[in-house]
Amino acid sequence: TSSVSANFDLKTYWSTLREEINQKLDEAIPVKYPAQIYESMRYSVLAEGAKRAPPVMCVAACELLGGNRLAAFPTACALEMVHAASLIHDDLPCMDDDPSRRGQPSNHTVFGMDMAILAGDALFPLGFRHIVSHTPTNLVPETQLLRVINEIARAVGSTGMAAGQFVDLEGPANAIDFIHAKKYGEMGECSAVCGGLLAGANDDEIQRLRRYGRAVGILYQVVDDMLEVNSSKPKPVDAEKLVEEKKEKSYVGAYGIEKALKVAEGLRAEAKNALEGFEKYGEKVLPLYSFVDYAADRSFSFADQV
Amino acid sequence: QEQVILQKPTFDFKAYMLEKGTSVQKALDESIVVKHPPTIHEAMRYSLLAGGKRVRPILCIAACELVGGKEATAMPAACAVEMIHTMSLIHDDLPCMDNDDFRRGKPTNHKVYGEDVAVLAGDSLLAFAFEYVSSFTVGTSPARVLAAIGELAKSIGTEGLVAGQVVDIASTGGEDIGLDQLEFIHIHKTAALLEASVVLGAILGGGSDAQVEKLRKFARCIGLLFQVVDDILDVTKSSEELGKTAGKDLLVDKTTYPKLLGLEKSRQFAEELLAEAKQQLEEFESQEAVAPLVALAEYIAYRQN
Repeated sequence: TSSVSANFDLKTYWSTLREEINQKLDEAIPVKYPAQIYESMRYSVLAEGAKRAPPVMCVAACELLGGNRLAAFPTACALEMVHAASLIHDDLPCMDDDPSRRGQPSNHTVFGMDMAILAGDALFPLGFRHIVSHTPTNLVPETQLLRVINEIARAVGSTGMAAGQFVDLEGPANAIDFIHAKKYGEMGECSAVCGGLLAGANDDEIQRLRRYGRAVGILYQVVDDMLEVNSSKPKPVDAEKLVEEKKEKSYVGAYGIEKALKVAEGLRAEAKNALEGFEKYGEKVLPLYSFVDYAADRSFSFADQV
Repeated sequence: QEQVILQKPTFDFKAYMLEKGTSVQKALDESIVVKHPPTIHEAMRYSLLAGGKRVRPILCIAACELVGGKEATAMPAACAVEMIHTMSLIHDDLPCMDNDDFRRGKPTNHKVYGEDVAVLAGDSLLAFAFEYVSSFTVGTSPARVLAAIGELAKSIGTEGLVAGQVVDIASTGGEDIGLDQLEFIHIHKTAALLEASVVLGAILGGGSDAQVEKLRKFARCIGLLFQVVDDILDVTKSSEELGKTAGKDLLVDKTTYPKLLGLEKSRQFAEELLAEAKQQLEEFESQEAVAPLVALAEYIAYRQN
């Protein structure tokens, strides 16, 4: 089946969607009074280094099950908004104290800690509001939209991404699997499931998308961790300590490169296995399918990617 | 005829607040269960259950009952507005914001759990408010729940709480601000969530568009009224009477209504807002269920602390 996947041009599919998402996000956050909060929100949401993986996964899952991508765009944008909110807060000095994100200085180093907290606090609800006000009501029944909102709220909340961040900061040293599942798996899971919900997927299909999204989300990060270790990019001296700290908390740092490779292969297989039930949809499964290989192999990069 | 008028029961506000406050407290207590990781859930519960008068949830329930809905239908939304209120207090109290050590007579969330947990507990309360309303609201249509969620979301971000806090931060530090800016701060920081509380109740209770808009206007008036009265109390009452530091506004050179308008004109403005609020309730006058909202408006206007 990997030859099937090789025939699909994921790069074009992804790039096209990415441009559309970027434009919609730009329109979703116009600058009004008081300007500084809008600028702070825009700074992180519209960061050029953003690949828009969650929206692409959401749209692809929606289209796989016969949904219209117009039904998925508002939720796809909302995923980026809540994701940005959570990253802004994770970078704060009282959290990971990270000076950069997506190749640019992190939000609080530019706008101050107070504005960074408020930008996050505004982006979470904006995501929910965007879904309610922008989803075409003729394409998605209200009950499905409520499930989408529920799914996103749960993913970012105290048993989801916030739980991952908490354990990352204060939890036991051997909790790397939990942290990866929560910090990275939740977003992937939520993105795929939301796409399915918007297309009216049945329970079995939602379960498959759940497994798929979670596996891809974690796979993506495990591979990131491996690439980080192998990267020979020279780092400024003051950044070295941070890099060391990060390494300790990375998958490779905790388990070594051998096990990381094994885990990555396992996750790739798990993600593809979850897609098996969708073969009846024919070629429509290709975006999600080749997405798995991309997460593992990183066979291309975007021209403007930092 | 006379008999009927004589038998009309007088509304017992104290008993009403006690009864509704008790059921809200119970619902809040049951809403957040301690799951893994426990600390974050304990931090959420610490601030959410810390007390307070529960004005917002009670407004939500009262508006729902006024348009013919049941208390149970409004309860998840009532809890959600209190979660949002609590979340904004936790974040506003952080050292990089207002830097407060005490809230509702207890150490603030970050003093007990640390800043990192306080940020996460706030974020989690925000998210959970939406999770809770979307999964536990019963007795109304999905379309109304969705509309309520849209209203709630609007009241938190750049058209609500956050906008108010941003302008408030920008205007502290001696810079003189005018009446327009002062009103902007209060409408967003205080009135927006009070408005959402009432509007959510009215939508979920089955209110017509016209009823929802009347109640929205009512809530805006009492939201601003709340703040005008707060400013007046700060200069006219002692710390002992208030249960918090009096004269604090003057001390930090904060712009207030008494400072901009003088005490007399501020009192007059409060009276006007109360009258305007009550005017919005006129069409509901024949209904018994209007009494709680009238009494809540009067309570906000005439409270002594």
